[in-house]
Amino acid sequence: MPVDFELTREQEDVRSTVREFAEKYVAPRVVEFEERQQVAPEIIREMARLGLFGVVFPEEYGGLGLDPVTAGVVLEELVRADLTFSLAVAYLVHTSWGYVAYKYGSEEFRENLIKRAAAGDLWIGIATTEPGAGSDLVGITTTARRDGDGYVISGEKAYISGVKEARERGVWFPDGGGHVTLAYTDKTKLHRGMSLFFVPLTDPNVSVRLEKEFGRKGWSFGSFVLNDVRIPESYRIGEEGRGFYIAMEGFDHARAYIALACAVGGKRAIELAAEYAKQRRAFGEPVASFQGVQFQLADNWARLEAAHALAYKALWALKMEQEGRIGRFEVTKIAAAAKLFAVQAAKAAIDDALRWFGAYGYTEENPVALALKAVKSYDWAEGSLDIMRLIVAREVLGREYIARRRQ
Amino acid sequence: MPMNVVVPVKPVVDPKAVVRFKPDGTIDRSAVKLVANPYDKHAVEAAVQLKERFGGRVVSISMAPPHAADAIREVLAMGVDEAVLLSDPRLAGSDTLATSYALSAAVRKLEQKLGRVDLVLCGIESSDSNTGHIGPEIGEWLGTPSVSYVDRILEVGDGYVMVKRLIEGGYVVMRVRLPAVLSIAGTSYQPRIPSLRDVLAARRKQIVVWSVDDVGIDPSLVGLAGSPTRVVKMWKVEIKRRGKIISDADVDRAIDRLLEELRRDGVPLGV
Repeated sequence: MPVDFELTREQEDVRSTVREFAEKYVAPRVVEFEERQQVAPEIIREMARLGLFGVVFPEEYGGLGLDPVTAGVVLEELVRADLTFSLAVAYLVHTSWGYVAYKYGSEEFRENLIKRAAAGDLWIGIATTEPGAGSDLVGITTTARRDGDGYVISGEKAYISGVKEARERGVWFPDGGGHVTLAYTDKTKLHRGMSLFFVPLTDPNVSVRLEKEFGRKGWSFGSFVLNDVRIPESYRIGEEGRGFYIAMEGFDHARAYIALACAVGGKRAIELAAEYAKQRRAFGEPVASFQGVQFQLADNWARLEAAHALAYKALWALKMEQEGRIGRFEVTKIAAAAKLFAVQAAKAAIDDALRWFGAYGYTEENPVALALKAVKSYDWAEGSLDIMRLIVAREVLGREYIARRRQ
Repeated sequence: MPMNVVVPVKPVVDPKAVVRFKPDGTIDRSAVKLVANPYDKHAVEAAVQLKERFGGRVVSISMAPPHAADAIREVLAMGVDEAVLLSDPRLAGSDTLATSYALSAAVRKLEQKLGRVDLVLCGIESSDSNTGHIGPEIGEWLGTPSVSYVDRILEVGDGYVMVKRLIEGGYVVMRVRLPAVLSIAGTSYQPRIPSLRDVLAARRKQIVVWSVDDVGIDPSLVGLAGSPTRVVKMWKVEIKRRGKIISDADVDRAIDRLLEELRRDGVPLGV
């Protein structure tokens, strides 16, 4: 009986603990996150105390040593309570990119930074996109040059999550944070000349600019300029020239978590709207008794159930990969398919669910309305939907069908 | 001065779960999750705070069938050092008198084991039977002072504690000789949410199981035979009252309408 949807007792314990926290402390403050455009710092500190920033790191580095599936259980509870997805982003970006930074980071890096990240003292983000390069990462212009026993990095990263939280020490995280940053170490080699570096955003040679975000306003979004930022060699993540490939691995993690967040967020939106539709009456009936609502609900729920299962398959695939039982590209394919499907399923479901509220759907007090704006970010975040399509097609058809770069 | 504290913890049907009733009116316990009585968690929190401040050990005792272990792990995660499960078919059907006798026998055994028990901290009542008897009854069996409705332990001194006890319309501050039994009200000592690390570690902790014989309980004083209480009938309460909402943008006008309705219903208002 290899297919099993049951959670272990350990996972059930994790779920009930995070749910208690999320229902008691997070859910009542979600509208405030959006209004004040920030997550209350004490919520993040409490998450740190509970160990939520150390879920996937090994115990020897202060983490809980749990697998991606269990990390997904934590994410589910954060999303259920916070449909602005602000905590989802804070958690899933750190969990995905922190893990990759741990995996490829030097021993010195693990001792100094991963331990702090696992304790929730330091947040880890991701920065690949630039003003002139997103899906086509070969176009990045950020460069890192060797300088003595370290590197000097210059360039600009744009549309990056968590820049404010990483920049400000002692507010959300005692040590602020930094971003796993993609830069050329040898431009002539294109993507084989890229490397990854951990760049602390607290560095005085980093300047941060915030964007006015469309939704998901609780976790900042903006750009940062690196003006000859000096970092030690130990902050390089993986070998020189491997940055692009390691980044692709990190995207697999983030995409699997995003798929789960979307599936669960979509389901939660349907649940909230269904509750309303049962109470609200029109033409002498509860709104929920109209088939126009019921058929929408059923179609969306079916898609969300499928998305939910596929998201867990992607997290399971990451776990299998960690155990050496499944290949890299298989994981990439499943994670891309999961994100591709779940984002669309969630957007459609939330949009429909919002309509059942009538005009009350068109207010910023309605968490489902906030969810609609938030999931829109996943059209792009951690790889656009069209890039997901290209990946799935490439893995199904074969690599000889990859579209060639026009010179 | 380190303090050894014993906390009786009752595994109860999850108050958030949807319960089904058997034809005789009792709860069908076969398929429901058991959790630690939410009121007891305030007592656990008080005990763990005492340990964190003064040192010593916190031991929980529960009287329940073996499958209640999951409920006990909740309090292990909160910082209880050791959990004892008093589990024996002969205990089935015990009322509060028999239960408090069995629990007090377990406290005596823990006294031998730990050298000394300074405090027994109980929840104010259980979420499933709400009698509030257990704390004061344990005090009787042990022959120690007992104080119920304790809001906070204000001071721990040599051989005494100073406590703030809630009474109707106010509170009294009492100095209580140790050892003592306190029932902790749900007003302070908000139970902590344990960290995931503590939750996972609790799963790996051993729960000690004691039988009637292990504790030296007189079997004739427990179970149905040892329980003077007889449950004659249980039934579901139908709530027939219905709420009414008076809404009016003008608050004064809304109050006038409320008063008018109350007068019409013959409620004596004194105004």
